[in-house]
Amino acid sequence: MSNPPGFARFRADLRPVLGAATALVATTAIAATLLALGGHSPGAAFGALVRGAFGSWHNFVSVTLVQATPLLLTGLAVALAFRARVWNIGAEGQLHAGALAGVAVAVSLPLGSPFLVLPATLLAAAAAGALWAAVPAAMKTRMGVGEVITTLLMNFVALFLAQFLVQGPLRESRGALPQTDAIPAAAQLPVLIPGSRLHLGFLIGILIAVALWLYLARTPGGFRIRAVGASPRAAEVSGRFRTGPVIWRAFLASGAIAGLAGWIQISGITHRMYENLSPGWGYTAIAVALLARLHPLAAVLTAIVFGALSAGGAAMQREAGVPDAWVRGIEALVILAVLAVDRGLQAFSDKTAAGATSRRAETGTAAGRV
Amino acid sequence: MGSAARLQGATKRFGAVWALEGVDFELAPGEIHGLLGENGAGKTTLARVVAGLLTPEAGRVEIGGREVRLGSAAEARALGVAMVHQHFSLVPRFTGFENVVLFNAEAWTPHGGVRAGYRERIEARAAELGLPVELDVPVERMGVADRQRIEILKALMGETRVLLLDEPTAVLAPQEVEGLFAVLRRVAAAGTGIVLVAHKLDEVLAAADRVTVLRRGRWVLTREAAAVTARELADAMVGARSPGSGPRDAAGAGPRLEGAAGAGPSDDEQRRPPRHTPEPPIVAELRDVAAVSAGGAGLRGVSLAVRRGEILGIAGVGGNGQRTLAAVLAGLQAPDEGNAALPDEVGWIPQERDGEGLVNGFTIAENVALAVHVKGAYRKGVWFDWAAVEEAAAVLVGQMDVRSGAPGVAAGTLSGGNQQKMVAGREFLRSGELLVAESPTRGLDVKATVAVRERIRALAREGGRRPGIVLISADLDEILEQSDRIAVMVRGRLIPVPPEDHNPAAIGELMLAVRG
Repeated sequence: MSNPPGFARFRADLRPVLGAATALVATTAIAATLLALGGHSPGAAFGALVRGAFGSWHNFVSVTLVQATPLLLTGLAVALAFRARVWNIGAEGQLHAGALAGVAVAVSLPLGSPFLVLPATLLAAAAAGALWAAVPAAMKTRMGVGEVITTLLMNFVALFLAQFLVQGPLRESRGALPQTDAIPAAAQLPVLIPGSRLHLGFLIGILIAVALWLYLARTPGGFRIRAVGASPRAAEVSGRFRTGPVIWRAFLASGAIAGLAGWIQISGITHRMYENLSPGWGYTAIAVALLARLHPLAAVLTAIVFGALSAGGAAMQREAGVPDAWVRGIEALVILAVLAVDRGLQAFSDKTAAGATSRRAETGTAAGRV
Repeated sequence: MGSAARLQGATKRFGAVWALEGVDFELAPGEIHGLLGENGAGKTTLARVVAGLLTPEAGRVEIGGREVRLGSAAEARALGVAMVHQHFSLVPRFTGFENVVLFNAEAWTPHGGVRAGYRERIEARAAELGLPVELDVPVERMGVADRQRIEILKALMGETRVLLLDEPTAVLAPQEVEGLFAVLRRVAAAGTGIVLVAHKLDEVLAAADRVTVLRRGRWVLTREAAAVTARELADAMVGARSPGSGPRDAAGAGPRLEGAAGAGPSDDEQRRPPRHTPEPPIVAELRDVAAVSAGGAGLRGVSLAVRRGEILGIAGVGGNGQRTLAAVLAGLQAPDEGNAALPDEVGWIPQERDGEGLVNGFTIAENVALAVHVKGAYRKGVWFDWAAVEEAAAVLVGQMDVRSGAPGVAAGTLSGGNQQKMVAGREFLRSGELLVAESPTRGLDVKATVAVRERIRALAREGGRRPGIVLISADLDEILEQSDRIAVMVRGRLIPVPPEDHNPAAIGELMLAVRG
């Protein structure tokens, strides 16, 4: 029954990478088949996709990375929550709450200097996202209401609230379109690379990813989040701490990061709030987080993958005439493939590692590795 | 006469826990066969193997002389095996009638109706068995005894060769138990073999024709109920050896040191550690502590004192308040009454390894961190000092002899015994004052048991920081082998056992509250 520990560790480390790669290959194969069945040339379609995402400096920096930014932030939010076994499906709503708060502060407070406006708006967005997450957090910790439902429902509240505000109280002064006034220049995030659309928000996302990684791997607080995610009961009995505060912390931090995503998108790209600001980033974020096996640094890569998919999808539509629905379908396939491959690999390695005893070495997706 | 059911060499393990090890068992037609044993002895596992609900790793199951495919509940049912589970399997919203119909496919018409006359059949069967049942009341509005009768009736509607009842008396009042036994006798008289799983001795002796005792997943004895005393069964259950089966005193077990009230030293022991002139200080003390518990028994008027370097053994049948005692000692539950003087940090080896004592997916270092992550010595400012944690984990692995362990190895890959040694070492790291060990060798094989006991004893006996240890166990061998002083936990009370009574019979009697 004794395993060579070094090899086991190596294989365990390799598994997520292997899983992600297998998922991508499988998805590509299935997508190609479907495209062919739909009468499109898979070659042309994939060619357009790759060119659209990576074909030029402009495409990569100003389209792919720009698309990846809100996915990265919401993906990190989801990954953090899931690490604590908090199934936050509400990144979409928290994103909208953050966007609204950021815009409200930007257009209503005459702060002048960007050095005042940007921190103030970012703080407001984070606070609003955290507040949006606080409702399900309270319901979970105080009343035992499952957060999957509550966070999901809070999404609709946020979406309709945003709709109401941009059509009513926050409608632009011209009154023409259901959108807010443009935010003042001081509230706009500076461009990161001159001549591109890539803004400071991408860097903020990477900094948060690094910070989360350090937090989870190297601090007692992050360790508690991982312990609760791996086994709440063991955290109480052997860790001797209450899981409630840990769940609160994960919820609030997750909401705050998702809230930032919304405002950063406005501040860096759109400069206004309008209806349907997000094409569902908060949901795609779940795939971003899962494909990264809930690892913050890996989420940077997976966010870029999904950003590329989004950028390339648009190109596929333009150049190869593949409808948008196909692109969405492929995204969904990636999620399914990731889950299937991940579980399949896990079952396989359990069998080979534990032999006849079939002992599970890891418990669920929440026990990801840092 | 053939057998109703026969089990040969049944072996079943759950992860690292041996639930059954090569057990043979035979049930004769028309007999009531009591299956006795402590919690975790393997009684329920045995019943579930016979019913095909569990697939054993090895063994043979015969029903009515025909070998059945292991783990096939359908096949077992077709041959007439029915099981009444400890937690009933009834649909709460359905009436008694609907529940009986649901379980018996022969009652159904192809279009989802109930066959004409089936209700009359149920009523006739209930009358025949002497089972007063309410067929038109939803199960959720019935009392426990009524539910149990529905459950039994539902199992006995078809041809039943073997009826397995898992702890059927646990939920019943004494008068109801009598009624149940009367029904079982009638069922047996009609030729059905009945397995009655229980841990209350007197009840089994009152109802059963034969009795089998399991202990730690192994067969201990099978006897005619008329030819065995409660005392003998108690000894067999808790592990006192019958005469001639092994030299127990040569192994160093037996009565030990001073009594509960600090009685004078008994001079019949040669393997006593050197006696220090001043008594070691008291590390933990409870005085008249009462505490309620949500699940099992709470505590009532419990007093105890533990000195540095001694092992206080607490014997008792599981569920008599041991869990609450552990939680109070570990500081996780405040007493409702009385005083508790406890160290700031208390080590606790909890009963469940997986999910309580450790996290399978965490490395050994991470599991150690569970205990030390709040301690300053393992921090550098806001950061965890993982190097220090890994160093401590490496020392622990060596000290506790955790085989194939290293700080970076996932705890889930260790065997049960090595996991437990790791947990024990970690809890010692948490507190050098007081350690509470709750059934530390439950589910471990013989070798691992010896190794874990050795390590726990070494913690109390060796080195500079000798903690006081409270050893809670239903295993009398373990208590006698390890403890300096012994007390028995019965229904929330703690009864000290004087040194002259440090023998299996006397303690077993207290544990099971068997008088005479």
